[in-house]
Amino acid sequence: MNRGNRILLSCVYWAFVLYVFVPLILMILMGFKDSKFIGFPIKSWTLDWYTGIFADAEILSTLGYSAAIAVLATLISVAVGTWIAVLLEGRKFWGRTAIFGMTVLPALVPGIISAIAFRIYARYLGIEPGMGAIVWAHAVHNVPFVVLVVMARLSTLPKSQLEAARDLGADPIIAFLRITLPYLVPAILGASIFCLLLSFDDFVRSFFLGGYEPTLPVLIFAKLKSGMSPEINAIATVALVLTAAIGIWAERFTRRMNKDTKA
Amino acid sequence: MTDQTPLVRIEGVSKHFGDTVALDNLTLDIARGEFVTFLGPSGCGKSTTLRILGGFERPTTGRVILDGQDVTTQPPEKRQVNMVFQDYALFPHMTVGQNISFGLELKGMDKTSIKRRSDEIMAFLELDAFGDRYPAQLSGGQRQRVALARALAPDPALLLLDEPLGALDAKLRGQVQQELKSIQRRTNKTFFFVTHDQEEALTMSDRIVVMNKGRVEQDGTPEDLYFHPASRFVAEFIGETNLLSGEMRGHDGDAVVMDWFGQTLRGHAPAGAPPEGAPITASVRLEKLGFHASRPETGNAVQGKVVGKTFLGSRMAVDLMVEEAQGATLRAFVDAETGQTVGADPVWIGWDSDSMAVLRD
Repeated sequence: MNRGNRILLSCVYWAFVLYVFVPLILMILMGFKDSKFIGFPIKSWTLDWYTGIFADAEILSTLGYSAAIAVLATLISVAVGTWIAVLLEGRKFWGRTAIFGMTVLPALVPGIISAIAFRIYARYLGIEPGMGAIVWAHAVHNVPFVVLVVMARLSTLPKSQLEAARDLGADPIIAFLRITLPYLVPAILGASIFCLLLSFDDFVRSFFLGGYEPTLPVLIFAKLKSGMSPEINAIATVALVLTAAIGIWAERFTRRMNKDTKA
Repeated sequence: MTDQTPLVRIEGVSKHFGDTVALDNLTLDIARGEFVTFLGPSGCGKSTTLRILGGFERPTTGRVILDGQDVTTQPPEKRQVNMVFQDYALFPHMTVGQNISFGLELKGMDKTSIKRRSDEIMAFLELDAFGDRYPAQLSGGQRQRVALARALAPDPALLLLDEPLGALDAKLRGQVQQELKSIQRRTNKTFFFVTHDQEEALTMSDRIVVMNKGRVEQDGTPEDLYFHPASRFVAEFIGETNLLSGEMRGHDGDAVVMDWFGQTLRGHAPAGAPPEGAPITASVRLEKLGFHASRPETGNAVQGKVVGKTFLGSRMAVDLMVEEAQGATLRAFVDAETGQTVGADPVWIGWDSDSMAVLRD
């Protein structure tokens, strides 16, 4: 690569970085502005918006509600997804491709369509809008990601590992619990974090299937309707820091585990 | 051990994968305490045999008897057989100690016995210092020893070894070969070793079974196979050899008489003599050819011209052309000094009838 190309490439790269991060930086800055109106110039700074949200019972309970939904949905999707991955990976049977396709489909259906479909289906089944319905929709939406991540990891498990376990006296169930499952831990953890973030972040499904209690994105949306204020920036910043921290930690953790357990 | 019944009895075992026949009607006994090697190129059926003994494949037909018990349909976890895998298959999330204890735990041993046994086997294989390490922290040779320790720990009746030296470098391999042989002697276990490396097989085995296309090509001691190969395949697969194509002429006492481009030669036929007039191939090892200044009194002799020499350190490979045999060539190993002196003048090449085997094609 010649010098001109390298400069051009780095310009494109930094332009992209600006494009991604400038809105975030602006959002964070405005959360510290000592005025009700968002926009420059910022004449004085304050932490009031932050103390405000941490004192606001509604915001805190919404945060807890969103977190609870995310954890429940993740637990369900990881259990179901891992099970499907183990059934599908490395096996040949009639209809395998069809089952795999149907498993992955929920990830590809546009959110708004699946949200409406869930709403109709929930009503048909007599499920009340609220936490249960949201968890159900999130779990279904997240299963494909778990299946794909776990299958990818499972496909790298050497066949000889399970044969060695059998050879040493393990029946297929013990071999699964003591060899396959520990091998899958990094993938399951990675998929869990991803599901947590997807669920925490979801607006459309939560909006359509929610009852009176809003999730965090739905609350922010409701607050936006009554006008933009730096309070929303503060809430968004807290959510950003939380999710980014979890995401970065998970990325490093799973990378280290993958390295440690390489056969 | 005075038990004379075979440990393993393979009775008419065949294995088909779709249309391919991986193993064709194999019948074989393995004695207790024997180091038996299945040798052959890839796809010869040696690994299939090993996997059938381990319980990972079920034979299409035939039976496998282990210690008097029919185990043909028994799953691997029920068999008193353990295996050292080609890639070792150590469990990456367990320490060396946990890897070795795995089989003991599943045998239902109590904690103190497990500890005693795994300590014992680790001391035996000089792994004491590595008990708390993970496989990823070990060298290739150490991993190989852990795999061996893990397989030996449950005290199996039969130990299967699937090309376990393939991943080691040449220098280490020689050392491990000696080690394996000595471990087998000290434990008095029956080892079933699979390899495609003829040198490995010759060094370690009490008995070698040469496999080709799903069938036994020859079954015997390393010396037998080397000096008295029964077939062209065995002669070519094990070591380097001179192959002489000729025609069967008849018998002279125990010896077989053949015609080699007008030269009358005597050999022996370990696989039985073909009928008179049949085209045959005979094999003479390179080191069995001797050089003489005049025609030797006994045995086979032809006169040859030196056409090439290759210095190999302790010895020399000399290529010779035999004009009287329509310019056919022979290759001989001689010590380096003899090799240097031969050259311009034709030499007499002599060999015993015992050292030339008439082969089955």
